[in-house]
Amino acid sequence: MSTTTPKPGSTAQISTAAADLILLVREAIDSEALVRYVRTAADGAVVTFDGCVRNQSHGRWTLYLDYEAYESMAVAKMREIAVAARAKFGIDRVAIAHRLGRLEIGETSVFIAVSAPHRPAAFDACRFAIDTLKGTVPIWKKEYFEDGAVWADGELPPAPPDTPIAKPAS
Amino acid sequence: MPPLVPLLVSGPEGYNSPVDAASPTIQVKVLFFGRLKEIIGRGDDTVDLAQDAPIEALFARYSSSYPELANFRASLVASRNQEFAAWSTPLRAGDEVAFLPPVSGG
Repeated sequence: MSTTTPKPGSTAQISTAAADLILLVREAIDSEALVRYVRTAADGAVVTFDGCVRNQSHGRWTLYLDYEAYESMAVAKMREIAVAARAKFGIDRVAIAHRLGRLEIGETSVFIAVSAPHRPAAFDACRFAIDTLKGTVPIWKKEYFEDGAVWADGELPPAPPDTPIAKPAS
Repeated sequence: MPPLVPLLVSGPEGYNSPVDAASPTIQVKVLFFGRLKEIIGRGDDTVDLAQDAPIEALFARYSSSYPELANFRASLVASRNQEFAAWSTPLRAGDEVAFLPPVSGG
């Protein structure tokens, strides 16, 4: 394999612009392809985050997880994260992939790769990307246990404040 | 309780009550995710309502049909056309509104 970008065939949503690669997929994330995508001759560092399915949650053994997304908005928000990361840090390329559907213990649910000329920016941007994703991207996971299932506790994304409802012009 | 804004009433079979001539009817798409989808029993809907009705009023309409929804109002965020939106945001024809529980990706 010498291709530098993942094949879009198995993706639910794909979005590329500038140097960002944003993916929602329903099959295993090809993390090596994401690393190859971000790594260019201009880079001295690639930092990755591999988010994987843990075998327990709140003291109970997890059987598996099921992820769903507001797909069009999730892709848009992941793209915004990549754009913000580039504006904030001295980085080169960003790739973010999130998987949807049923995931077994140990499988990768989210993978982020960031390249940069120097390592501090790559570390900072990768941390920023996963933290922002967990707080703003409309994706939800349901945790299945032997004795039932629950929607995972999440973070409420910030929304614009309400404004008083304007009176109709007379 | 948030103020209720008059909405055109639409029955389950699409029956519309008499239309207020001063307030044209619009159609919007509504999406539900996570636990909300389970409560409503479906992930998407299309509704008729008065132009410029705020998102809050749209949610109030669903809460009156599905009272359990009201319990989640304080822990939801709304979106209009794939952007997080204030509950007071007025709706226009063709808008896509979603009610989003706390997100738990990653």
